[in-house]
Amino acid sequence: MNALGEFALQLGLATSIYGIVCYLMAARGNRIDLYLSADKTPLVVWACVMMASIALWKAFLTDDFSVEYVWAYSNSQQNVFYKLASFWGGQKGSLLFWTLILTTYMVIVHSQYRKKHLRLVPHAMAVMLVMTVFFLGLLNFSTNPFELIPLPPEDGRGLNPLLQNYWMVIHPPTLYLGYVGFTVPFAFAIAALITKNLDDGWIRLTRKWALISWFFLCMGNLFGAQWAYVELGWGGYWAWDPVENAAFMPLIVATAYLHSIQIQEKKDMMKVWNMSLILLTFVMTIFGTFITRSGLIQSVHTFDEATLGFIFLGFLGVIIAFSVFLIVKRLPLLKSENELDSFLSRESSFLFNNLVLLGIGFATFWGTIFPIISEAFRGVKITVGPPFYNQVNVPIGMVLLALVGIGPVIAWRKATWSNLKNSFFKPIVTAGLAGVGLSFFLPFTNKAEILAYITFIICVFVLTTIVLEFSKGARARAQISGGTFIEGFGSLVWHNKRRYGGYVVHVGIVCIFAGIAASSAYSVDAQKVLKIGESLELGGYTFTYEKLRVREASDVKTRIIASMGVFKDGKRVWTAKPEKEFYKEQNQPVSEVSLRSTFIEDLYVILADFREDETATFKVYVNPMVWWMWFGQMVIALGTIVCMWPDKQEERRRLQRVRRQEAVFAAGPAAPAPAQQE
Amino acid sequence: MPRKKIKFLVGAFMIILAIGFLIGSTINSTSTYFMTVSELHHNGMDNYYDAGLKVKGNVVDGSIQRDPQNSLDVAFRIKENDDILKVVYNGITPDMFNDGGEVVVEGTLAEDGVFHANTLLTSCPSKYEAEKEKGKTHPGSLPDFSGAQKPKVSPETLPKAKI
Repeated sequence: MNALGEFALQLGLATSIYGIVCYLMAARGNRIDLYLSADKTPLVVWACVMMASIALWKAFLTDDFSVEYVWAYSNSQQNVFYKLASFWGGQKGSLLFWTLILTTYMVIVHSQYRKKHLRLVPHAMAVMLVMTVFFLGLLNFSTNPFELIPLPPEDGRGLNPLLQNYWMVIHPPTLYLGYVGFTVPFAFAIAALITKNLDDGWIRLTRKWALISWFFLCMGNLFGAQWAYVELGWGGYWAWDPVENAAFMPLIVATAYLHSIQIQEKKDMMKVWNMSLILLTFVMTIFGTFITRSGLIQSVHTFDEATLGFIFLGFLGVIIAFSVFLIVKRLPLLKSENELDSFLSRESSFLFNNLVLLGIGFATFWGTIFPIISEAFRGVKITVGPPFYNQVNVPIGMVLLALVGIGPVIAWRKATWSNLKNSFFKPIVTAGLAGVGLSFFLPFTNKAEILAYITFIICVFVLTTIVLEFSKGARARAQISGGTFIEGFGSLVWHNKRRYGGYVVHVGIVCIFAGIAASSAYSVDAQKVLKIGESLELGGYTFTYEKLRVREASDVKTRIIASMGVFKDGKRVWTAKPEKEFYKEQNQPVSEVSLRSTFIEDLYVILADFREDETATFKVYVNPMVWWMWFGQMVIALGTIVCMWPDKQEERRRLQRVRRQEAVFAAGPAAPAPAQQE
Repeated sequence: MPRKKIKFLVGAFMIILAIGFLIGSTINSTSTYFMTVSELHHNGMDNYYDAGLKVKGNVVDGSIQRDPQNSLDVAFRIKENDDILKVVYNGITPDMFNDGGEVVVEGTLAEDGVFHANTLLTSCPSKYEAEKEKGKTHPGSLPDFSGAQKPKVSPETLPKAKI
């Protein structure tokens, strides 16, 4: 089976190279025979990669420790779930997993669009096959997951206990689905540039792909934050570590892209800009992989394999050079006749939103690579930590949040005074009232608290604009159809899924901003050595250390569980049970956080240390409103589903458009697609 | 170029300038030097007193000492090759903080040559590969029950006769 997997990888590589050549020659020389041959390659490549993946999974499930990778990340006692998840536990498997997702996407795109978009698909397929060749090349020549150990050991090393929790099954695949997904819009953008189909066809075609990828990336980021928060036990959820930044930057650029393509669809503007944004998004996904594989940037979770980094960097250079060359070459065709009219218009608010998002992206990028730059130019490595990112990104983020409120309601082209008054009078008044109201409750002792206060006011402003949009629209609908407000609401959302789904996502964003602001400004913590019966006070709660138990969970694992009664105003509200788990023959324990999460605040208790006499050290956090972030995440998921829900009207519009295009091309002399005769 | 276009270019330029200024001014006030223990010795310790500093090294075996009264007070030494740095830290130590482990400490260097760390980071679990090369057990790996003290080094790196 292992030999079969290895062979499948080789066959996949050969087939994808053949596919690229065939697709390109077919497109250039109008060769139907070649096209028909090339048309089979995506499926064959996918089957090969799938075969290899099944082989690796099988090696994991059957405890085949003759495979070095299986030996390194699994052992015979490991739970089946973690055996399956160990697939992406290390460098080699994660590259194979990436390739598997990439080729799966490729096959889906292929079957979706092959018949409908003959002009773009061959080139887009060629681009995706180039990506596949890169990864299969790595898997064949540099990081072969089927490398064997000559004399198989009896048992494997096993997946690190810190990785053995269900997040390991959820978080990496989600992130990868997002990362890899942006290959699809990128491939179609390049195809559009090559074939000079520079209307918004490629954007409409790949809008859902961009949206799905954005969705997975967003969920992946938030899952990562949640994992760090509930498992790693440092009381926080985001540390601006290079690897976190690597997942954050493509998300930010993709967000800019998703907004600015709306301007191109509506007004036929910003064509070069959109091309550049999708290129940048894609580059950022590869750059993220480069960071994690290079060991060049000090991070807490790098793979530490220095050689791969430079291969990725070289690949990145080639992609950038080629795409920039194409965009520059097509510049005359990317000109737009329309232009911006006024600062006070929806177009320019989208433009500002883009600039602000890219500002956040650039600040993050700059902070991430600053150690390399400073070492190159000043000879000394200088790093920037969370203070830098917070000081820069928080103010920019607040401007962005305000734009979330302004953008969707300000008028197109040029906002008049009465439009501004209609749209913003109520939200501003509400936000002002909320500001006055909140000022009685909230402390203003430091900068973070003042910033959080301002953020809350902006949140209220944004929420009000969104609520007004919904209620105005629903009332109008209800009046026309004569139904109730609820019916109007339903019909409103149903008939404008993209728009109102987007608003729902915005509500989620507001929740996340509020959660971040509150938890970073008002969080308190304390650490103390306690004897049984002693207690510590924090955030209005009393934490009393009650007992320490030892439990032999299995032959391998011993759990030390501390119990802490938590009291508020003399009433017992919760019993915290933080624990430490010890694995046999090892002195390194794994801490388990005890967490009570409510929408007001989280109580977060860590058992740091204990001694023979049952004296124990605790660290306790009271983090307000962290729950809002995970709630916001679910709201975003809901909104994205609404946005992506198949829309019949949109489908009809698309068909009309395709028919119109076909007519134009049938009449024109240069119809390059060889498969038209199919 | 039409006037409107100029207006927008100026507007966009001002935003970019503002963000650039924000980045530039913040980076100077928040940056810290990052070096290994050897580099710190090599560059001269006295150049870095009271500067923001991040130092990487491996914990010297047996050097971790906790205050018996308050186990949150920890003193230890980190080294690289033959260069050693004394570190004191107050707070919870990560689970993977152990003899021989690679750590990054962030804080300030006092004039007596003792490093006062306010953060202590250990390498993350996904950092397997390098340690395997060195033939070390990963601190997080599960115990092995197949044989008594079987060395958990990669068999590739051992001469075959020994297995």
